[in-house]
Amino acid sequence: MNGINGGKATTVGRTAGLYIGAAVLRLALFTLFPGLPDLLTGRVEISTPVTSFKRLQEGLFLYNHNVSPYDGGVYHQAPLLLPLFALLPSFAALPVFTYLLYIAIDLLSAHALFQIAESGEPGASALYTSPRRDKRWGGFVIAALFLFNPFTIATCIGRPTSVFTTCAILHAVVKAISGAPVGAMVALAFAAYLSMYPLLLLPPLLLLSYDRQLPGRATKSLAQFAATNIGVVASVLGMLFSMSFLITGSWEFLPSTYGVQLTLSDLAPNVGLWWYFFVEMFDSFRSFFLAVFWLHLSAYVGALTVRIRRQPLVVLTLLLGIFAIFKPYPSISDMSLFLAAVSLYRHVFPLMRYTFLVASIIMYTTFLGPAFYHLWIYAGSGNANFFYAITLVWGLGLSLLVCDLTFAVLRDEWEVERPEMVGKEIRQI
Amino acid sequence: MSARPPIDNDTAADSSTGPTVTQDENAVTVDVTTPATATATVTGTGTGTGTETGMGDSPPKKQPPPEKASDARRRTWVILSFWLVVVCLGLPIWWKTTTIYRADLPLDEMLEWADGKACRPVFPLRIAIQADSLHEQEAQNLLRLTQHALDDLNDFSGHHLRLQLSPPSATDDKPNPNGDDTALTIRLVPGEATTATLDPYAPILDISYPPNTIPSATSSSSSLAAYVANQLRSTFAEEQAIISYLLSTNSMPSEHRPQGLTPEAAESLSKRTTRSLKYAPTYHLTFSLLTSGPLPSSWDIEAAIDEYMKPVLDVLSPIHNFTIDTQVQLYATPGVQNQVLNKEDLSSFVNAAEWPLSPSIGGAPTVNFILFIGNQTIGNAAQLAEGHDPDNESTTSPSWLIPQWGTVYLLSLPHDTTHVSVSTLKQPLLTFTSHLLSLTGTPQSGSLPLRLSTLSRIRSADLLLRASSTLGSLARLSLALPSISIPSSVADGVSTTMAHLRLACETLGGAEGLEHARIAEAEAERAFFEKSMVGQLYFPDEHKIAVYLPLLGPVGVPLVMGLLNEIKAWRKRRRARAEKGAEKKE
Repeated sequence: MNGINGGKATTVGRTAGLYIGAAVLRLALFTLFPGLPDLLTGRVEISTPVTSFKRLQEGLFLYNHNVSPYDGGVYHQAPLLLPLFALLPSFAALPVFTYLLYIAIDLLSAHALFQIAESGEPGASALYTSPRRDKRWGGFVIAALFLFNPFTIATCIGRPTSVFTTCAILHAVVKAISGAPVGAMVALAFAAYLSMYPLLLLPPLLLLSYDRQLPGRATKSLAQFAATNIGVVASVLGMLFSMSFLITGSWEFLPSTYGVQLTLSDLAPNVGLWWYFFVEMFDSFRSFFLAVFWLHLSAYVGALTVRIRRQPLVVLTLLLGIFAIFKPYPSISDMSLFLAAVSLYRHVFPLMRYTFLVASIIMYTTFLGPAFYHLWIYAGSGNANFFYAITLVWGLGLSLLVCDLTFAVLRDEWEVERPEMVGKEIRQI
Repeated sequence: MSARPPIDNDTAADSSTGPTVTQDENAVTVDVTTPATATATVTGTGTGTGTETGMGDSPPKKQPPPEKASDARRRTWVILSFWLVVVCLGLPIWWKTTTIYRADLPLDEMLEWADGKACRPVFPLRIAIQADSLHEQEAQNLLRLTQHALDDLNDFSGHHLRLQLSPPSATDDKPNPNGDDTALTIRLVPGEATTATLDPYAPILDISYPPNTIPSATSSSSSLAAYVANQLRSTFAEEQAIISYLLSTNSMPSEHRPQGLTPEAAESLSKRTTRSLKYAPTYHLTFSLLTSGPLPSSWDIEAAIDEYMKPVLDVLSPIHNFTIDTQVQLYATPGVQNQVLNKEDLSSFVNAAEWPLSPSIGGAPTVNFILFIGNQTIGNAAQLAEGHDPDNESTTSPSWLIPQWGTVYLLSLPHDTTHVSVSTLKQPLLTFTSHLLSLTGTPQSGSLPLRLSTLSRIRSADLLLRASSTLGSLARLSLALPSISIPSSVADGVSTTMAHLRLACETLGGAEGLEHARIAEAEAERAFFEKSMVGQLYFPDEHKIAVYLPLLGPVGVPLVMGLLNEIKAWRKRRRARAEKGAEKKE
């Protein structure tokens, strides 16, 4: 923190340059390769049934023609996205406005990451200060890593609506850290409204904003604080739902958006682990295993929140990683968010043991995944197992990263209690 | 040493990522659990245990510092948070989503229907006697005596003829065959001798009697009464035989089963029932003109049907609806090319592979009528043995009936005929009509109105019995397979079936009874062949292990181990506390 004071002006200038550079790169990709956006929009790794830009356009067309956007069973996204995109000039005539919107969302997310990094929360939370915190990366590096991550760029060009969720989650964290619990809850409610699963981030986010309350108007009782903020989330969600009801004229959007995520009625392949499993599932056990998968996804929330109580942001990061693996419709946009959050923990990287393995797996699957998908779908010389094997390896790599980060963070905490063990190898006896 | 400390539950690791990650991490986060569960630690010794770290300077067997109470409590909370999800959400969901839904079926009642205990099929046939020339008193007396004679003759309680005097006011009108439920009207007319004639167009039996045969008020027997009773009995003999045959084939208890059905009679009846089509409210009639050559290529079928067949279709209309289509096929090759067809050839004459005879159009079963123009003839066995005998020609009909399928009629025409006229079609169509009647299961004796009313009674009995036996099969199936699911639609179907069966049983013999029996049968079939029931027909318990274990096994092992360790530690603590308390007291 101290190092920044000297060159505040130059830092601002540098950051602005970074943002401009990222925006120009994206605009250049959009305009110089006109086929690229459509190509990436069609990729299953980027567009899932609940985030696809193509499906958004279908819903938008129906909405603009006064037909329920959920007719036809193609559109599964939140209804409030429709008026937002209807306000933009027609995508067919002037696509640049859509491009600009997506670039702006990316920059907003990057700026949120910048603020999180600059706040020092990753290294020193309210209850715990890491002895290694000086080795961290500054906001500029974190933002640059996010903005120039190929996954983020591909997501931006492919224009799935998951970028809105990413942006909302990051801003919820920023608000929580900066002592604005209500703002954090509102942002989280937006994220939950758009994709539902961010609602599971509520417990660690509550703790984070509880720890980071401004001293002037802090609520002492955690129960009271939690109740108030859950009330805020509920009322914002209720408001969003009633606005959606007013726009679409029926409650049909609830089963069409959240119902699809809960029941996995669209079995289009993606980088997650669900689709293949439920293609093969006995019909009579389908509902049971749907419940098992969802419970598995949510079971980590309580335990992680209790275990790493002193660093709520770590819990949020780990949960984002778990969601990127075990969500019903994950995509590489979840991966880019998780990687950005992991990069906040630069100071514990030396404690991680599988960084090389994880990096290799992720790169290996990044190249082999599209190849195997091509073999299966277009060349016809492979089958669904080819692609599913790669998504399994992808999930394995991600879960290794989640475990490794957990290990590193816990070891970091432990070494504070047992300073004599610093630097020693561990083993089980 | 393989016991896993409970703390590994709080890693975010996917349980499939292998034990190294979690175990290594245990070693860091948990130095020592309570002494009994101390399994993981960090040591400085590098000797003998195969670790790659060499820290020989630290003393061997160094014990880590005891675990802090707050850490132990936190671990309890972590384990609890997992188990809370499992117990509060997982178990109810598991219970709710995997229990097989078995709607309550009234099994006893269903089996009663199947055994014929719930309904005793009784066909009360009302027979009116019109005796205008007799006094009220005399007529009553005759009626009483005839009824006695009938009851003496009757050995089958299910089929009951009940006589009644038709009111004199109605005598002027023509008796209305459909209006009331009178099955037959007997018109007694004075005459020379005792004769009986059946009116061919109405259900009326004309009986003439010499005046002296009228029984006196006191006599206990009368030849006229016996004569009338015998006439009635012979009129309804066929119906009675058919119904008793139906009852005997449908697992009715023996006390309801009529006696006196000879094996030969039963055999001929069984032949007849196998010949007739299964009951359907609508039949589809297909008339096909198949010619062996290029001619004739057209026929006056519409006019011919209107003229020769329509009247019968009209009288059948209360029982069945008919839809009709026709087709012409030139150069049709029969399945058998012989000039003279033997009995064996007839079964393979229809060329099912090439002739466009679709099995059924829509939901209705199809009856096929084929008029084949060619020069083939049917030779019967006797003819073939004796040589060609021109006198015998007329005894061989040029047509034959294919059970449950239709009729083929061979017609030989001059080679240059291009058009088949109505008059040429008369004989084929009359044959088709009579075959249609036997295909629908109409009895063969008696006048047409009587045959038709008999048909409707036979059909209701048949449907009633069939629905009952389907109910019985369903009940036995659900008893035999305890793991089969029974959706509520099946239960609904069963209750509808039983409601209509009850109504049908009450109104048996009338038009209503037929309608109820039809609905009951359709509902029973629908319930029995419910789709979702069949899917789970065979799912043994071993398969459940294969379904649950691959996922829930790996997830369950760390959960259960963690819980067990935690319980062990808790008991240890309690014992230690108890000992401490005891020491203090001492």
